[in-house]
Amino acid sequence: MSALVNSTLFRRVSKVPPSYYLLVVLLVILFIARPQMLNANVLGVFVRQVVPLGILVLGQLLVMRVKSIDLSGGGVILLINYCISSGIFPGASLGFYVVLALAIGLAIGLFNGMMVAKRRVSAVIVTLALSIVLVGFVQYLSSGKPPGDVPKIFAELFNTRFIGLPSPVLFWIALTALMALLLSQTVFGRCVAAVGESIPAAHFSGVPVERTVILAHTLAGLMAAIAALVQTASIAVGSVRVGLDLPILSVAATILGGVVFGRGEGGVWGPFFGVLCFAFLFVVMTMFGVGDAGKLVAQGLIILFAAIFYGLRAGK
Amino acid sequence: MTSPSSTLGKLITGRGSRQGLWLLPFIIAIAMALWLAITTSQFGQWSNLTNLVAQGMPLLITAVGQMFVVLVGGLDLSIGSVVSFTTAILALDLPGYLTIPGVFLFAGLIGATNGYCITRLNVHPIVATLSMQYVVLGITRVLRPVSGGTVPDSVRWLVEGSIFGLPLPLFWGVVTLLVAWKLLYGSRYGLHLFAIGGGVASGSNDAARNFGIPANRNILLAYVICSLFAALAGLFLAGRIVSGDPNVGLLMELDAITAVAIGGTQLSGGVGSLHGTVIGVAVLALLSNGMNLLNVTPFVQTAIKGVLLMAVVALQSRKKIGL
Repeated sequence: MSALVNSTLFRRVSKVPPSYYLLVVLLVILFIARPQMLNANVLGVFVRQVVPLGILVLGQLLVMRVKSIDLSGGGVILLINYCISSGIFPGASLGFYVVLALAIGLAIGLFNGMMVAKRRVSAVIVTLALSIVLVGFVQYLSSGKPPGDVPKIFAELFNTRFIGLPSPVLFWIALTALMALLLSQTVFGRCVAAVGESIPAAHFSGVPVERTVILAHTLAGLMAAIAALVQTASIAVGSVRVGLDLPILSVAATILGGVVFGRGEGGVWGPFFGVLCFAFLFVVMTMFGVGDAGKLVAQGLIILFAAIFYGLRAGK
Repeated sequence: MTSPSSTLGKLITGRGSRQGLWLLPFIIAIAMALWLAITTSQFGQWSNLTNLVAQGMPLLITAVGQMFVVLVGGLDLSIGSVVSFTTAILALDLPGYLTIPGVFLFAGLIGATNGYCITRLNVHPIVATLSMQYVVLGITRVLRPVSGGTVPDSVRWLVEGSIFGLPLPLFWGVVTLLVAWKLLYGSRYGLHLFAIGGGVASGSNDAARNFGIPANRNILLAYVICSLFAALAGLFLAGRIVSGDPNVGLLMELDAITAVAIGGTQLSGGVGSLHGTVIGVAVLALLSNGMNLLNVTPFVQTAIKGVLLMAVVALQSRKKIGL
């Protein structure tokens, strides 16, 4: 096994995040089985559905690179969906909702960051606990029933197209590009890479470790808020169950994209293609008549193999 | 020698202790029990107490198992699926002498796979067990898409019966705790777990191995033990619901982690205690039982559980940042 791992070929092949290979395989399968599906219109509809996940992943990859994790996205999405759909702010405009959502996301992200970096609480526990609290709170406020309708403008914006592509998809690509710039061109991006490599080494090199972790979590909260806005626009109704599986899926897509705890070879585009893989994976499996159970198994095996792929390399 | 007041301070906050913060949750549990006994008439009744034990038992068994992997700085998210999987296998209408050893065999294999991926293939515990959760849940849904089937009568009797007037669930708890106590405090293996976890928590994964402790083997074994306890909890639940249910174990891993964390076991590893975990389980069980008696909606119960978890964890100090 170690001979295989140490060979030049394996090293070269494993430089590319697994999501790229998987996406090519999925597109080839789609091309052979249903060539008529491979046009911008149909693909755009599939991709549009995973935009909330894709935006959440942008935050997740940031916190995972500083060896943390954010599982509170489900709670944030539920809370913002409730604020918009329950009508507790009658007559509010779109701008008000956007500002409200971003403020909620920033506050929750900041709280997570302070707890993780200053109080040194386990990130798994604090974000999970926060999600549990938010879900319980929203379900209590709405007595477990779907709250109501979302203002029409959300769905109208969600359905617009721009130069032939659905605008949510373009928005997602733009945000991803911004995140890529943030990580590659700014001091903060360097700090993230340094903290991920080794916290003591970063600390002794003068990198503000605590501030970097707090900022990463705050940005992750902001991304969760944006994901919540898009998710709310996409389902166009209030719900008390929406988005609860997104945090776990976002961890999965991030790993598939070549970003594991503390390591960021996949950059920002690896996880981006990881999310696309999930979009097409479900399409391909539905096409071949694989049920929900089979999808779960495939999802699990794909994450595991992606992680083993990286683990083998990191261990040697 | 330290002064009595600082010793007491250390005891309450669990600072510098290998057992972690367990006294405060213990006081909370006692206070909750006393308060419930005074404010509600039903709490102290025999039927409610036996019900409390039977309801809390799956949580106790899974939490004790979870503690083994948490002590070595790991986490097992697959146990909820293992519980569902166990009930699905038991409800296959096969004879009990086949299915009962079968579930433990499968659980052992699942745990060994988790452990192998984590120790040899260098996969992060959260990632490895998360993907295992998906795989096992998928297989469970193939075996039993919706709840149904019947479990062997022997399993049913083991949960519903009683000996000497004492309900059998009590004995499940005693056996679980005795086995866990022997493994943790009555064997070399337990000492090794604390040593490995202490090394992981302080940032050097090789600390224990440098002292001649076979770290990889012991960590792998911890995941096997965790899965076996999950299968035991599944066996118990199958006897209680008398059928197989693919969703019965849903989110059980989170409750187990919550109970372990409330009991003072630190997620970075090396710090924790068996009695702490029992106290954590007691707090959660009393919380749900008490709020049912007081007619609090389940949604508020969820929120309070989250607040409690966060408060208790925030009180513990540790060095590590992140996971």
